[in-house]
Amino acid sequence: MTIRPNALPTQEMTINMGPQHPSTHGVLRVILTTDGEVVTRAVPDIGYLHRALEKIGERVSYAQYMPFTDRLDYLAAMNCNCAWAWTVEKLAKIEVPERAEYLRVIVCELNRISSHLIAFGSYTADMGAFTPFLYGIRERERINDLFEMLCGARLTYNYARIGGVSGDAPPGFLEKTKEFLDYFEPKIDEYNELISYNKIFVNRLANVAVISAADAIAYGLTGPSLRGSGVPFDLRKDEPYSVYPKFDFKVCVGAGERGKLGDCFDRYMVRINEMRESIKIVRQAVEQIPDGPVLAKVPRVFKPPVGEVYFRSECPRGETGIYLISDGAVNAYRLKIRTGSFVTMNIFETITKGLMIADIVAVIGSFDIILPEIDR
Amino acid sequence: MEALAISLVKAAPALGAAPLWAVTLLLMLASAGIILVFALTFEGVGSLVLRKVAGDIQARIGPNRVGPNGILQFLADGVKLVLKEDIIPAQADRFLFQLAPYFVFVGSFAAFVVVPFGVGLIAADLNIGIYYVMAITSLVVVGVLLAGWSSNNKWALLGGMRAAAQIVSYEIPVGMALLPAVLIAGSLSLQDIVRSQGGLLGIFGWNLFHNPFSFFSFFLYFTAAQAETNQTPFDLPEAESELVSGYNVEYSGIRFGLFFLAEFGDMFIVAALSTACFLGGWQVPFFNAAALPAVWGNLLSLGVFLAKAFTMVLVMMWVRWTLPRLRVDQLMRMSWKYMVPLTFVNLLGVSLWLLVFRGKGIPAMIASLFG
Amino acid sequence: MGLKAYINDIVEAVVTTAKGMRITARYGVDPREEVTLQYPEERWEIPERYRGFLHNDIRKCISCSMCVKVCPVDCISLESVRGADKKPVLVSYDINIGRCMYCGLCVEVCPVKSLKHTSGYEKASTDRGELILHFIAEDAAEVKARVARQVAEAAKAAEAAKAAEASKPADVSSDLSSVAAKAAKEEAAKPPVGEPKAAKAEAADLSSEAGKATVAEPKTAKEEEKKP
Repeated sequence: MTIRPNALPTQEMTINMGPQHPSTHGVLRVILTTDGEVVTRAVPDIGYLHRALEKIGERVSYAQYMPFTDRLDYLAAMNCNCAWAWTVEKLAKIEVPERAEYLRVIVCELNRISSHLIAFGSYTADMGAFTPFLYGIRERERINDLFEMLCGARLTYNYARIGGVSGDAPPGFLEKTKEFLDYFEPKIDEYNELISYNKIFVNRLANVAVISAADAIAYGLTGPSLRGSGVPFDLRKDEPYSVYPKFDFKVCVGAGERGKLGDCFDRYMVRINEMRESIKIVRQAVEQIPDGPVLAKVPRVFKPPVGEVYFRSECPRGETGIYLISDGAVNAYRLKIRTGSFVTMNIFETITKGLMIADIVAVIGSFDIILPEIDR
Repeated sequence: MEALAISLVKAAPALGAAPLWAVTLLLMLASAGIILVFALTFEGVGSLVLRKVAGDIQARIGPNRVGPNGILQFLADGVKLVLKEDIIPAQADRFLFQLAPYFVFVGSFAAFVVVPFGVGLIAADLNIGIYYVMAITSLVVVGVLLAGWSSNNKWALLGGMRAAAQIVSYEIPVGMALLPAVLIAGSLSLQDIVRSQGGLLGIFGWNLFHNPFSFFSFFLYFTAAQAETNQTPFDLPEAESELVSGYNVEYSGIRFGLFFLAEFGDMFIVAALSTACFLGGWQVPFFNAAALPAVWGNLLSLGVFLAKAFTMVLVMMWVRWTLPRLRVDQLMRMSWKYMVPLTFVNLLGVSLWLLVFRGKGIPAMIASLFG
Repeated sequence: MGLKAYINDIVEAVVTTAKGMRITARYGVDPREEVTLQYPEERWEIPERYRGFLHNDIRKCISCSMCVKVCPVDCISLESVRGADKKPVLVSYDINIGRCMYCGLCVEVCPVKSLKHTSGYEKASTDRGELILHFIAEDAAEVKARVARQVAEAAKAAEAAKAAEASKPADVSSDLSSVAAKAAKEEAAKPPVGEPKAAKAEAADLSSEAGKATVAEPKTAKEEEKKP
């Protein structure tokens, strides 16, 4: 087809997607330059949820910062809690009771499931199917019930403490966890049947925004976004921390199941499959959990030694690395947090060239970004 | 309508004093009023049922606060829509902005005129009924495009453009998928099409079971019509997760209400057409409703028709809460690469079938085998 | 794209749609799958560790202000003055639950377990002032004045006791007018105890009495708030 040049002069349109947009998962703003439906340029504009979380960490004491880590990634607060606790413990070389570590692993993995459920649900809702979202929420509520029983809160848990956890598992908690796992495991198959392999859904995701393994590494992607490109990198396996080495689980990677390796569908399937692995880990942890105290003796006015530390752990949205400099005072001298969602913004512009407007939604959803993690 | 007026004048000589055109006009207004009431009621109740169905499917309850079990929710919604401020954006094209909702509403409402509700219950039995529906529902595209353009909002514009492309593309498969029914009946009138599906074969007299091609035709029509009326999974012009709300994003109050009502009106039109053309319309299986006294025959056939149509509406809602949305290029591909060729093949198949078997359907042939 | 792939495409679309619709239909017709809780009428069972609104039992509170120090968002404000017995007396104890993030750190550090999370979670209000819980209903100035009076009285009583040690213990408190002093007199009259000790007991009595009086009030105030 040939179009006579200048027969019908057209011009590109700049559209502002967000910060109030239902599919940008919060207050992300994407400036789209489009040629009709085709996006020629998509530039993410971040910072609408900047709350100076890192600076707050330098102003409050180490123990006081724990509730703020809840707000770092509100869908995976347990993982952030534990990441902070592990970092400070690494800095101060605190020996954590084993039962506490097991409890941490249990809650982290449960939280990973609940976070992936939201990722799954909101992704399908972005794609236009609203029903799976509510199914995901329904299952997540059960996890919230478990956490409420354990620590008294449903979203901002503030469960981990420097040197352990705030409370031992109440009677019946471990049984209820097992009950939940038995209930939840078949639901994953149901999700797959309902939506994952739906022809329309597959067509929306397959071959969209393909990221090669080399690109993914070069841009510093982590977590499911990296594994979706077929790179089997998981900090729980590659840089084991806590009691993860004791559990048997496999690292889920994208397989190019329905399209090219590293497309949106692979990233989505990694999350679905990771839920199964998390179930496996929680099952083993519940079986093996030893008795004992859950909180090490840490002085009330806690002053870690002078020094610096970097600790990274595998959160649902990728690596959460915390860099901490201590000058021996009650609060940190410098705090820097590296999050999985933030780095995905780097590659955003590169991979969205030439996609459709609807694909932008698919790309944002496939990274499963969360804005407090990006802006901090 | 004039014929009805003449018969009415004959039945009631008191009316003879008035000129014939006045009686005809009065009758037209009366039937338009009745249809409007029906359409609005359906649209109101439809919105409630849609939410209830959504609730059931999504493991929730749905609206249940207004009135017993929430059945008055639609009234509350309606009152809310009427009372809300009608905001017109400062930079909008005021005239077109105000005009657009009426186009959309009229396009959907005018199609009700030829819906055969019962043996004699049809506002206007046009001899080009199907043609009329196809034509008048195309008015919607004008309204949607106007709404998208005049809002002076980029999202609305995208929604309007998508709607235009989509509705125009899917007119073809919709028309092609309806033609088998026309061919079988040998008439474009919807009443004739429904009448052709009666007889002693019961549900096997329906066009759906006439031959394999007409069977597929029904599903093709249903799918294409959903796309033409912007129902999920083809709700790209609205696409609340991409275009926020598409062409109606700037509308509020009763102007938004008109878009909303038109959406449900379209839903009913699709259900009614698929019922009339493929599911036997008002034909009661194994029973000749036309033979009954006028009142009872009409009531019975109306009930049967509405039951069939509402079942189809429920199916549409069920589909809506199950499937994700297509992308715009996939939508076009589906129309031009799948729906259009398939409907053409179907049309060809039905034509050949009718030619080869002299208009007889499979059930009729089986019946004739057994005498 | 060959014909086979073309037909496969259509078949796959139909089959996967049908599968999905089977699942939604099952949920649609099965009433047991409804999980909604009809909130104001039905309530979920609140677990023991639930972190709801904070409540401070000020009879127990020793105004150590550990909670104030540990609170990351500074939602607790506490004021105390030194009472007659050299122990701090609470003048005001306010928690701004509009600011509180329910992290529970204050409850953990409370040495006497007077600060606790309740199971309350409903406090919608159109006025931010209503979100500040006052645990001492009395006006801070009044409390301060009273405590100052008590301190003065206690000092007087101590002086008088000193004087009594010199002369007779009986006519020491004859000129004292306050109830507390009477109590002290009775206290002093009944058991044959040493005078300084009696004075101390009187002060302790006073503070506990004052405490009781103020404890009763915030509770009623709270009930009033709950009623509408």
